[in-house]
Amino acid sequence: MNLTSFVFLAFCFITLIIYFIVPKKIQWIILLLSSLVFLFYDNFSLFTVFQALLILLVSYFGGRLIEKYRDTKKETVILLCSIAIILGLLIYLKYSNLLIITYNHIITLLGMSKKVELVTRVSLIGISYYSLIMISYLIDIHRGACKAQKNILKCALFMYYFPILPSGPFVRYETMEKELYKKHKFDYDRMCSGLVRMCWGFFKILVISSRVGYFVDTVYGNMSKFKGFFAILAALFFPLQLYTNFSGSIDVIMGVSEILGINLPENFTGPFFSRTITEFWRNWHITLGAWLKDYIFYPLLKSNFMQKLNKVCKKKFGKNGKKIPLYLSMFVMWLAIGIWHGGAYTYIIGSGMIPFACIFFEDNLAPLAKKINKKLRIDEDGFWYHLYQSVRTYVLFSFAMIFFRASSIMQGLRLIKRMLVFNPWVLLDNKTLYTAGLDMRDFHVMILSVIVLFIVDYFSKKINVREKLFKQNIIVRWAAIYILLFSIIIFGCYGLGYDATSFIYQGF
Amino acid sequence: MSREEVFERLNKVFQDIFDDDSIVVNEETTSADIEDWDSLEHINLVVAIEQEFNMKFNMNEVTTMKNVGEMVSIILSRIN
Repeated sequence: MNLTSFVFLAFCFITLIIYFIVPKKIQWIILLLSSLVFLFYDNFSLFTVFQALLILLVSYFGGRLIEKYRDTKKETVILLCSIAIILGLLIYLKYSNLLIITYNHIITLLGMSKKVELVTRVSLIGISYYSLIMISYLIDIHRGACKAQKNILKCALFMYYFPILPSGPFVRYETMEKELYKKHKFDYDRMCSGLVRMCWGFFKILVISSRVGYFVDTVYGNMSKFKGFFAILAALFFPLQLYTNFSGSIDVIMGVSEILGINLPENFTGPFFSRTITEFWRNWHITLGAWLKDYIFYPLLKSNFMQKLNKVCKKKFGKNGKKIPLYLSMFVMWLAIGIWHGGAYTYIIGSGMIPFACIFFEDNLAPLAKKINKKLRIDEDGFWYHLYQSVRTYVLFSFAMIFFRASSIMQGLRLIKRMLVFNPWVLLDNKTLYTAGLDMRDFHVMILSVIVLFIVDYFSKKINVREKLFKQNIIVRWAAIYILLFSIIIFGCYGLGYDATSFIYQGF
Repeated sequence: MSREEVFERLNKVFQDIFDDDSIVVNEETTSADIEDWDSLEHINLVVAIEQEFNMKFNMNEVTTMKNVGEMVSIILSRIN
């Protein structure tokens, strides 16, 4: 079910009405039923039901058994087996082709010719999200951070809660159990606030992301025609398309969840104002970062192997030696981020290896940069230096995303090669500039809406913009809401050759 | 062992890990108060504390401890 479709709006409307009409005791059952409708709406088959049931049963019984066999050897065995089954299913559904491609490459290198054909597997919406969410549920029970849910249907609601299915965020059982099953009263103010957030999400998706997408798709689709500055613009525009698409869909589902009375953790906090790649990733897909930190990075760093390595490196290389286990753990974490994004090498490079390399160099070149700035008397706290750092971070992120967007590593490299053609006059020549999917009006709308986006994001880092809006007088408040609503209706891209509703992060 | 004694021994671990003899931790101290206290140092610190007090933090505690006061409470609950 696409978030910008009429079906989704109707689905939310019906869910909300029933949810607030029924006795509060059974509100969570309504949520479970609507979540099941959402889950199987696009893919209902015996195989998808099997996928959903397998993860649920493994998580539910795994959690109960971990508690039953607490502090025995069996506890660890149950935990590891449960995680292995969930991961095994995820790998089977999402990463078969990556394994086949790797296998075929090795076969070719060895001079053999028996290649394996690629496969198509139908997986349920959100499986990459709830697989990891259920793994964290099991680990949290093992760590004693939460208790296993005794009611299998309640466990199912935690797993299938429909707002998180399209594109996250990653949630923890410990926080969700306080929200999901309690009684929720209808609250008019909360509904208004949720609706505004939904509209802001639709604005990001329909007005900005879809529009920018026209341009990016046109350039990527016809690289021999659109080169030089077109290729550079496409590379610089894609992060905007991705951000507005992803954070927009998060806004929509957070808005729905807010109306339901269930708060979800924030996933973005103005990433484009970050001054370093490290800071950028702290503000981008926050809940994925937190998940990886808690369940991969920290346990890995604390493992006996890393601690021993730490001691050896400290002895051999002094104070800097301790960075070796850090980088090793970081490498594993970034590899996991890359793999999580999808079963293709483009994702591993674009969202895994390049960001890792950026962070590595950023960290190691920081002392040198500090020295140079001191010699040149550059004010590191000044506005212009901040701006330079933010632009640099954006450009580095755009570079990494070339591979994320490309259909293959070769296509990514081809785009970079095309960038080297020097043709800045296309930016000044209206006739040429407006041939890449967007006409003059579209360009103007895009620039204006991106400015609005940056202003809102800038203030969102300091204040709660919606709260501030609702404190304004009736004229300002409604004027802002109407402008937002009419911009979506008038400037939204609704199709005709372009699928505004294909969510980039839904693919994961 | 009393809370004060734990603080005293803990202070030495902090000074050792962060290579700074001027560090004095109290109930309210957090990672924001010590410049080098990042995720790596946090793990190194946790491991050094485990060795000093001959106890183990579980992973949930490692990621959720809010300040040194909470850290001391966990240590006391394990060693007494």
